[in-house]
Amino acid sequence: MDKQNDTMIKTIIDRYPKKDSAVMPVMQYLQKKNNNRLDDRAVETAAKAIGCSKGKIYGIATYYTMFNTQPVGKYHLQVDTCVPGFLQGADEILAHLEKKLGIKTGETTKDGMFTLSAVQDLGSCATGPVIQVNDRYFENMTVKKTDVLIDALKSGKEPENDPSMTVVSKCNILLNDRTKKDCRTLAFYKGNGGYQSLKKALSMKPDEIVAEVKEAGIRGRGGAGFPAGTKWTFLPKNDSRPVYLICNADEGEPGTFKDRQIMEFNPHLLVEGIAISSFALNAKKSFIYIRGEFDWIADILEAAIEEAKKDGQLNHVDIVVHRGGGSYVCGDETAQIESLEGKRGNPRVKPPFPANFGLYGCPTVVNNVETLSCVPYVIQNGAAAFQKIGVTNNFGPKIFGVSGHVNKPGIFEYPMGTPLKEILEAAGGVKGKMKGVIVGGLSVAILTAKEAEGLNMDYDSCNKAGTALGSGGIMVVNDTVSIPELALRTIEFYHHESCGQCVPCREGSLVIEHKLRDIVEGRGKMEDIDLILHLTKNIKGLTLCPTGEAFAVPIQAMVSKFRPEFEALVKK
Amino acid sequence: MDKKIFIDGREFAIDGTKTVLEIARENGIYIPSLCYLKKLGPASMCRVCVVEVDGIRNLQTSCSLMPTDGMKITTGSPRVIEARKMVVNLLLANGNHNCLICERNGDCELQEAAYNLGIDIPAFVVPEREEKDESAAFIIRDGNKCIQCGRCVEACNRMVVNEVLEMGNRGGHTHVICDNDLPMGASSCVQCGECVQACPVGALYEKKGVGKGRPWEIRKVRTTCPYCGVGCQQELHLKGDQIVRIKGVEGAQPNDGHLCVKGRYGYDFIYSKERLTTPLIKKNGKFEEASWDEALDLVANKFKQIIKESGPDAIAGVSCARSINEDSFYMQKLFRAAIGTNNIDHCART
Repeated sequence: MDKQNDTMIKTIIDRYPKKDSAVMPVMQYLQKKNNNRLDDRAVETAAKAIGCSKGKIYGIATYYTMFNTQPVGKYHLQVDTCVPGFLQGADEILAHLEKKLGIKTGETTKDGMFTLSAVQDLGSCATGPVIQVNDRYFENMTVKKTDVLIDALKSGKEPENDPSMTVVSKCNILLNDRTKKDCRTLAFYKGNGGYQSLKKALSMKPDEIVAEVKEAGIRGRGGAGFPAGTKWTFLPKNDSRPVYLICNADEGEPGTFKDRQIMEFNPHLLVEGIAISSFALNAKKSFIYIRGEFDWIADILEAAIEEAKKDGQLNHVDIVVHRGGGSYVCGDETAQIESLEGKRGNPRVKPPFPANFGLYGCPTVVNNVETLSCVPYVIQNGAAAFQKIGVTNNFGPKIFGVSGHVNKPGIFEYPMGTPLKEILEAAGGVKGKMKGVIVGGLSVAILTAKEAEGLNMDYDSCNKAGTALGSGGIMVVNDTVSIPELALRTIEFYHHESCGQCVPCREGSLVIEHKLRDIVEGRGKMEDIDLILHLTKNIKGLTLCPTGEAFAVPIQAMVSKFRPEFEALVKK
Repeated sequence: MDKKIFIDGREFAIDGTKTVLEIARENGIYIPSLCYLKKLGPASMCRVCVVEVDGIRNLQTSCSLMPTDGMKITTGSPRVIEARKMVVNLLLANGNHNCLICERNGDCELQEAAYNLGIDIPAFVVPEREEKDESAAFIIRDGNKCIQCGRCVEACNRMVVNEVLEMGNRGGHTHVICDNDLPMGASSCVQCGECVQACPVGALYEKKGVGKGRPWEIRKVRTTCPYCGVGCQQELHLKGDQIVRIKGVEGAQPNDGHLCVKGRYGYDFIYSKERLTTPLIKKNGKFEEASWDEALDLVANKFKQIIKESGPDAIAGVSCARSINEDSFYMQKLFRAAIGTNNIDHCART
């Protein structure tokens, strides 16, 4: 066993340019081997393998949510109670599980079979409520289906997952026909013209590719909307250090579940995008940093990379799939770099920027999955063709995820600038009466139904409307929802995910959470409302990374736009 | 032409080596900071040292801000003060910052910041969260006073490289851990106390100093550690003639603030009743006090007698590990040149 361990650990370490980067994969491996627990012995083994202190391993283990330093049951039931889950009735599932198992959230059944946890955002927003059982997702859960699941697990079986949802593609660039059983295979992808773009790219000069991508004006699909081609040109010229490309697949913004659609069903598109981009940037080693909860999707990516390698597509680059450990902040590019270097995912102070000082202190580009998946189309068809899709300054296709109170939640690939109304209609229309809508993932300002009228879904239009396109994760909130409760759910997420490094984010999210809970539970005072607004105003722009803003903006919008709802709950 | 910046309208020349915080402090401009420690460099975590810079939208942390030519900086605008007040208020809200009973009262950077910002009552309160850890021999950890500035962790890992302290958990639950979250006394900590010296508040303090004296009662005396030949510079904190605590002298050679467990905490011997204060000579099986002349004459005569009877190689010299190089040199000179033997050794060799 120990020898087998050593061999496996060595294999993991060998994947990385630096040993420290292997720390999380080694910990993940050891935890899996050890009944899903990283006990003191496993901590010691990991420390020895990496050559670091036990404290460092423990610090990492307790930073990321997916490591269990304490014992967990054979089946770890994790119910996503974050905003999308909340809108879809996750609380009911959680309450049912508490009753059925006779335990409270956070406890383990006496027989050691089940541990029940409430977790934050699993990226299954249109297919909620979702329960993650160890490494597997069970989506579209109902009370009845939960009973079936528990009974099956008790008898040692695992039922099939039902990930069904509405899928519409108007552009057919990023999404493929997932109804085909072989949609993930190289053969299927090549049969539809796949890897032709890479072939073309390899015949071009790297600078020409960069110029074409810059010309196309692909704006970063992770949420910031910064032009990818411009980001590429920030890399220093004539630098002797190696360049790294990191594909940011740490999809964790509540309301967002678009990248997994590409990775899970059309993995070769992303592989081709990374292959072209790596060639353009002269990156010999590239990483896909995927959130650890998407373990099975990481397997799909690894299989696709293997296939592409065997087919001779990846002779110029080595692509490593790196699984995160459960942390929202690691979606920030500098936190992601820190995490990939084998540390706690604390964002770095900028400057220096990753283009000059990124992974291992080398020039680094971090691009989102959807961004990189646009690259094959741009190279194959040219920047001009890409610009024909969408609207001025906001070009190309965009995957919108629609969740919350709509009749047919799902995933929609539409041109940039498509009216919100059209997307919501494709999603079967609003269930009940719309109270508000969050159009770009949880960290953007909520729009009232009135404000959302006539909104077009592109970066500039959303900015103009006082919100942001963000990741394009649309959450519809109908009039059955209490906004103070929604605000409490929102801050719970950010407080849970704050890295804890800087004071305004760490302590600010804590105090806001306390105050909102007081208000929701009837202990609030009128001045608490102003205190919350005072905090959000000052936290915005004061934190080390954008996370402070990511909660200050939505909380401020919810409180100021729906203030009467908050006032109605507090004692006069 | 010389490059310059303006802080609150005052002009300062810059040479590209100093941050805005350093320039301000050197020139008597007060900017509070909690996580910045000179020898560890900027951390940008507490966000208390923010300033306003013309042309930059967000407030900037002065500890990490490298000035560029012509930069105009305001350290005390209403916006800056409001942000700083909020940060200090947030820190005061969390935990139990009861100055009355705190060992660091009067020597606390959080207290100083609150005082300067005019915060009398914290604006919000959330419950305390951690038990005190008194398990270690010399250091007490009080998580309720910890502001998670990370200085102790950096000091442990980067300065003394003992790699014991780490940040555990995250977000509002972030706290300092020893090894895999063991009590300090059960961990691999060697009690060097570097973390205590780095702590800006009362979260880490000396067990031996508890109740012994307040900062304003303290007289500080600089001296050289007597334990070994390195010559570490110490600052004794005395109340009357009693040591309350010992600190390493920051910025002084050779130790730049570091001390080992002996130098920092091993000072009880100076008050020991068994400590020798005069030479003793055994007469009739009993030690009796003697003068230095008496003692040295006795030893010299005995040496002479032994050399005469058995030759110089019947004598050997063993020097002390605490001796400095110069003393060890003299010791061997004495034995080789005056006594005439090569029998010399050193106690730490055995």
